Amino acid sequence: MDMLASLLHMTPAIFWMVVKVVIVFSAIMLLASVWTWVERRGSAMIQDRIGPNRAAIFGKIRIIGLAQLLADGIKFFFKEDLVPEEANKGLFWLAPFLAFVPALIGFAVIPFGKSFVSGGVTYYLSVLDPGNGMGLLYPLAIGGMAVYGVLLAAWSSNNKWSILGGMRAAAAMVSYEIGMSLAVVTIFMTTGGYDPAEVIRAQGHLPWAWNIVHQPLGFIVFFTCMFAETNRLPFDFAEGESEIVAGFNTEYGSMKFSLLALAEYSHLMTASALVATLYFGGWQVPFVQNPTVMLSVASFLLKMLFFAWVFVWIRWTLPRFRYDQLMHLGWKVMLPLSMANLVFHAWRMSQGH
Amino acid sequence: MFITFALITLLGAVGMLLQKNVIVAGLCLVAAFFGVAGLFVLLANPVAAALQVIVYTGAIMVLVLFVIMMLNSHEEEKAQAAHPIQRWVSVALIAALAIGAVKLVLASPGLKALAISGAAVPQAMTLQKVGFTLFADHLLGFEVAGLLLLAAMVGAVALTKRNL
Repeated sequence: MDMLASLLHMTPAIFWMVVKVVIVFSAIMLLASVWTWVERRGSAMIQDRIGPNRAAIFGKIRIIGLAQLLADGIKFFFKEDLVPEEANKGLFWLAPFLAFVPALIGFAVIPFGKSFVSGGVTYYLSVLDPGNGMGLLYPLAIGGMAVYGVLLAAWSSNNKWSILGGMRAAAAMVSYEIGMSLAVVTIFMTTGGYDPAEVIRAQGHLPWAWNIVHQPLGFIVFFTCMFAETNRLPFDFAEGESEIVAGFNTEYGSMKFSLLALAEYSHLMTASALVATLYFGGWQVPFVQNPTVMLSVASFLLKMLFFAWVFVWIRWTLPRFRYDQLMHLGWKVMLPLSMANLVFHAWRMSQGH
Repeated sequence: MFITFALITLLGAVGMLLQKNVIVAGLCLVAAFFGVAGLFVLLANPVAAALQVIVYTGAIMVLVLFVIMMLNSHEEEKAQAAHPIQRWVSVALIAALAIGAVKLVLASPGLKALAISGAAVPQAMTLQKVGFTLFADHLLGFEVAGLLLLAAMVGAVALTKRNL
C-alpha cells in the first residue's frame, strides 16, 4: 500500500483516505442502483408477478433482469432534459444534487468493518476515523439536510402538485426527526459515548447483548422514523399517484429524475447501515470473539442489506397511511414512546444497571 | 481552510441580504450556517458544528422556508414608508455589536494562552464535556432556558389552537 501511495505522490494516510472514500461511495451508489432492481423484482415476487425480465445485453444475456439497470441508465442519459417554462432554473438544477449529496455522505462515520493494524499503523474501516468528535451526531445532521433537496425540487418546479408533495415530505421529515433523535440519545446514554465505534464495541459479539435486546422500543421508534426520513412507503407523502401525481419530482425527467431516485435509495442504504450499527452490533459477528477483517465486513454488509430488504418488503406489504394519520403517529405515538424509552433507561441507569 | 469557511460564511450572509427572492435568500443563509459550522470544526469543537447544522439548518431554516413556501410570497415586499433613519440606527447598532464582540475576543483567556509558547493545546470538545458543563456549571441557565422554551411552546399552541 505504501508503495502504491508513493507512486501516486501521496502520503499513505491520504492514499488510504482516498481509497476509503472511493470504495464507500462507489459501493453505496452501486448498491443503490442495484436496489432499484431489487425493489422491482421484490415487488413482483410479493405480488406474484414476474417483474422486469426482458432487457438483455446484446439481446442475449438477461441475468434475471439485471440488465434492466443498464438499460434504465442509458435511457435516462439520452432522454431530453426538460425544464418547465416558469421554473426557477438555478434551483431546479441544484435540487437533485442537494438531495443526492446528503444521502451519500451521511455514511461517512459508519464503520463498515473491524479496524486492522498493518506495519504499526491502525487502519480504520470508516471514512472518518473514530474520535473525530462528530460521531453519530453527523448522520443526524446530514439526515436533516436531506429535506432541502425535496423541498427545493418541489418549490422550484413551480407546480402545485410538486409543492404539496414537498410540503408534506418536509413536515413529515421534521416531525419524525425528534422521535428518532431521542431514540439515538438513549443509545448515547446507555453506551456512555456517541462515537459509532464505541457503540459497536459496547454491544459486543453476543447477540443478546446488542441494543435491540435492551431497547426494543427504541429500535421500533428509530426504524419507523427511518421510513419517514427516507420517504419510503408507508410514509411516502412526497409522492402519491392518486392525489398529487408524482409529488415533488413531477416535473423531473431524464438524469435529474434518476439522481432523485438514486438519492432515495442511497438514503435507504445509509438508514439500514445506521440501524445495523445502532441496534445490531455493526460489524460484530455473532458468537465470534475476534473476527477477521473480511468476516466483519461481510457481517456488516449482510446486516445492512437485510435491513435494506426489510425496507422494500414493508413497502410492498403495508398499505399507505393517510397524511393526518402519519402526523398523528409521529407526534402522538412515536415521540411519547421515544421519551418513555429515554426515561426508562435513565431510571434503570440510576438504579445502577 | 479558515479563509474558505470565512468566505462561505460572509458570502452567504451578504447574498442573503442582497437577494430579492426570499427562498434563495434562505438558501444563502443555509450556506452561511455551513460556513460557521466549518469554523467551529476548525476551533476543535465538532460538537458545536454538528449541533449548529442539526438545529439551525436541519430544523429552524427548514421551518422558515416551509412557512415562506406556504405563504407563497417569493418576492420581498417594499416597505410602505421608508425611513432612512432606520438604516443609520441599524448600522450604528451593528458597529457597536461588532466592537463589543472584538473586545470580548481580544480579552479572552484563550487568546492570551496563544501568546505563551508551549502552552497546552486545548482538547477537542466532546458531547460528554458539553453535558458536564451544562449540568455542573450552567445548571440554572439550562433549566431557565428549558422552561422558557416550554412556555413558548405552550403559548404557541394556545394561540393557534383555540379549541383543543
